[in-house]
Amino acid sequence: MQSSKRWAAIALLGLLPLTAAAKPIAFANGKTLMVEWGAGTMYEVQMFYAPKYWYSLGGGWLELDSDDGSKRRDITYVRANLLAKRWNLPDAQANVFVWGGLGRATGNDFAGTELSHDIGFQTDYETRRVYASLRADLNEAASFSHRVDTLQLGWAPYAHDYDTLATWFVVQGRRYTGDLYKGTETALLVRFFKGGAWVEFGATTDGKLQAMAMFNF
Amino acid sequence: MKIFKTLLFAALIGFASIASAKTIEMDVNGLVCAFCAQGIEKTLKGFPATAGVFVSLEHRIVAVQLKDGQDIGDAALTKAITDACYKLVAIRRTDEPLDAIRQRVSNRKALPPVDASKHKHDMDDMQGMQSHG
Repeated sequence: MQSSKRWAAIALLGLLPLTAAAKPIAFANGKTLMVEWGAGTMYEVQMFYAPKYWYSLGGGWLELDSDDGSKRRDITYVRANLLAKRWNLPDAQANVFVWGGLGRATGNDFAGTELSHDIGFQTDYETRRVYASLRADLNEAASFSHRVDTLQLGWAPYAHDYDTLATWFVVQGRRYTGDLYKGTETALLVRFFKGGAWVEFGATTDGKLQAMAMFNF
Repeated sequence: MKIFKTLLFAALIGFASIASAKTIEMDVNGLVCAFCAQGIEKTLKGFPATAGVFVSLEHRIVAVQLKDGQDIGDAALTKAITDACYKLVAIRRTDEPLDAIRQRVSNRKALPPVDASKHKHDMDDMQGMQSHG
């Protein structure tokens, strides 16, 4: 099962650059596709369309797995994202995003399909050389409640421009509630983006693969 | 009558300088990544008068080359940048072609002095230019 997931993710990452570009809520009339392969504990695919610069609508699929293999949740959802606040500074940008949605969840420790809901937020600050983001995502249904908190700190060895490849080194700390993972899962990542395409990959300190791709178009 | 003639003359001079502009150069805050530039580029390329767009993250400028004899009004430019969720700080109209601006930026030369006879606004004085929330 793990092997098939890994190959599916690799296949997606290979195909996505052909479709084109993007970011969370990218821009008015922009579409965003995100795929995340999360170190054995989460896998997610999201697709959003932003009619305006301040909100987007879409949906996705999320799989959450406990590190001991005892729990698994598959959640298919629809979600609305809102850019609650942006600060445009001469050499920096900061954002607050919030989102909420509804979905259908299945799991290996409860029967049938349950209605689930999801709320979350992300706040970030970035210049062309440093980056920080904090994200919290809560998924709940009658039989489970899981929150995934992610902190990322990034550093770019050089300041990129629109027509050059951006390179970032990112340290990530992630915590899960609901008995998915004990302690903080730490990962080291390298991120590249150019135009509307973004790819990052790395590994956790446990030696597990983590990768993410995002495209705006 | 003298005042009317003076105003008419000033208006004609102003119109002539706008009409002759080949490029609109804008200072924009918040440009820190390629995604920012992509949204702005896509929006500005949607104007029929746009012949080309250049974005420099380093110099925080967005330049639009105009098709011959065409123009994009300040209100439309302001809306385009605001709808992309960035802050428009200033607009300059120049006769400098887009390639020259690209070359100047790539050579990291200083920005040229602003020609007061060209169209320019301080966007802080305009409505709708504050960050939203």
